[in-house]
Amino acid sequence: MLQNKANPTINKSTGLPRKRFYRARAHSNPLSDSHFPVPLSPSHVDYSLHYPQLFPSSDRSDGSKKIEFADIGCGFGGLLISLSTLFPETLMIGMELRDKVTEYVKERILGLRVANPGQYQNVSVVRTNSMKYIPNYFEKGQLSKMFFLFPDPHFKEKNHRRRVISPHLLDEYAYVLKVGGIIYTITDVEELGEWMKSCLQNHLMFEPLSETELDADPVVKLLSTATEEGQKVARNGGQTFQAVYRRIKPASQENS
Amino acid sequence: MEGAQMEDFRIEDCENDNNTHEDSQMEESEQNNKHMEVAPAVISVHPTRNSVAVAVGSDLRVFNLLEDCAVILVDEAGGASHNDSIRGIKYGANGKLFVSAGDDKLVKVWSTESWRCIATVCSEKRVSAVAISNDGLHVCFADKFGVVWVVDLPGVDETQAPLNKKAVPLLAHYCSIITSLEFSPDGHFIVSADRDFKIRVTVFPKKPLDGAHEVQSFCLGHTEFVSCLAFICTPDSPQGSLVSGGGDSTLVQRWSRSLGRISFLQALVVVYLEDYYGW
Repeated sequence: MLQNKANPTINKSTGLPRKRFYRARAHSNPLSDSHFPVPLSPSHVDYSLHYPQLFPSSDRSDGSKKIEFADIGCGFGGLLISLSTLFPETLMIGMELRDKVTEYVKERILGLRVANPGQYQNVSVVRTNSMKYIPNYFEKGQLSKMFFLFPDPHFKEKNHRRRVISPHLLDEYAYVLKVGGIIYTITDVEELGEWMKSCLQNHLMFEPLSETELDADPVVKLLSTATEEGQKVARNGGQTFQAVYRRIKPASQENS
Repeated sequence: MEGAQMEDFRIEDCENDNNTHEDSQMEESEQNNKHMEVAPAVISVHPTRNSVAVAVGSDLRVFNLLEDCAVILVDEAGGASHNDSIRGIKYGANGKLFVSAGDDKLVKVWSTESWRCIATVCSEKRVSAVAISNDGLHVCFADKFGVVWVVDLPGVDETQAPLNKKAVPLLAHYCSIITSLEFSPDGHFIVSADRDFKIRVTVFPKKPLDGAHEVQSFCLGHTEFVSCLAFICTPDSPQGSLVSGGGDSTLVQRWSRSLGRISFLQALVVVYLEDYYGW
């Protein structure tokens, strides 16, 4: 695809995709049944498709590396690209509902891999509805970081149940996050920021990171600077509201 | 420069037609389905086989197996117990209680001694599945939006007038219809299965009214909707194995306690029935 000189969607000099050919609306309906393949279970996720250099075959042994970072609603991939070089040994994936945007990220990663041999092999993207299918992709306690950057606010109260952070969905996110794993959320919509913070605060499987911990975490700075959305907010002089929480073992636990 | 070309992709105001249109579309198709589809009959057997209950449409019939006669259900309204198709019935609390619910959005809890309706819970949406905890203290029901609700029944007294209780959400399968709800024999877990091929096993907490947030496991492997769940207790697994059946060609899948998949046991259901009927 990159070799095709006639392909206008790819910038000839950088080998990276041009955004204007991957235009998409910001909003996507998470309730509509889009048709995309969903893995039957986490063991059915094809790592050779996502990380071909690291996984030459789709057979994975039990001890092999697993995806640890998931960017939910990764948009145009800004955060993932930054994380990829910051954590070169960690496998990470972006999940995005919009078809065109997923294609853009795919092309971007492919272009970066070609331009920077050996790098960006640990990052990939998949088109899916993370509100329904997260348990299909990740085993219990698999992830160490989950990102929810500038999610769709769904302003109307009757649509609040479509928000990607909700008390019910936090159960699933807590399931795929390991104990000690971290969930990062940020938005420029104040009401949504308060909503996400209160959902996390009231959920017994999460506790907030302290100020010191936030300062010490290199990822926190990326939340507002690494994505296109974040950069736009900064340009417009807007405020951002973040909530970063750690997955904990709940105080009263049934023994299983 | 990519940055300079970037446009404002965010739509600040969600006044788009998607939301309302899609919502009414969902309800419309449900109503159309209602006219065309006939609610499947549901059956539930008392744990020690004292009685068996069958629901056909809005009709709930209970047969006393010990005395070999039909049972008259006593409801406060005096008329039919349910006004619309019953979607879920189940015995619970070691046979002391019985619950029925369905399209009329009413969850009715019955005492199996007097067969009087001792509590009625109103659901906001139509109910697709029901379950009672083993200690008889909680009734759970799932609505058509995939939310499982819980109501507490602390020492409900039969002699009182039936209580109208308010339910709170326990857990949810995002936008999926829950087809089956079961408590594990030891009462530690509640299992919910949905039409999107998923089975979720959740720890049933000491204070269920605060919600059940700890997911023990997801049992994934079905390639079609999961229609039924059951716990089978056998000598070699006294805590019970979870078996499930669904719309895919696998009749029954068996899940171990650590809740990954063990094996395919198509014959298990047949064996269980044989044992019951003494064939």
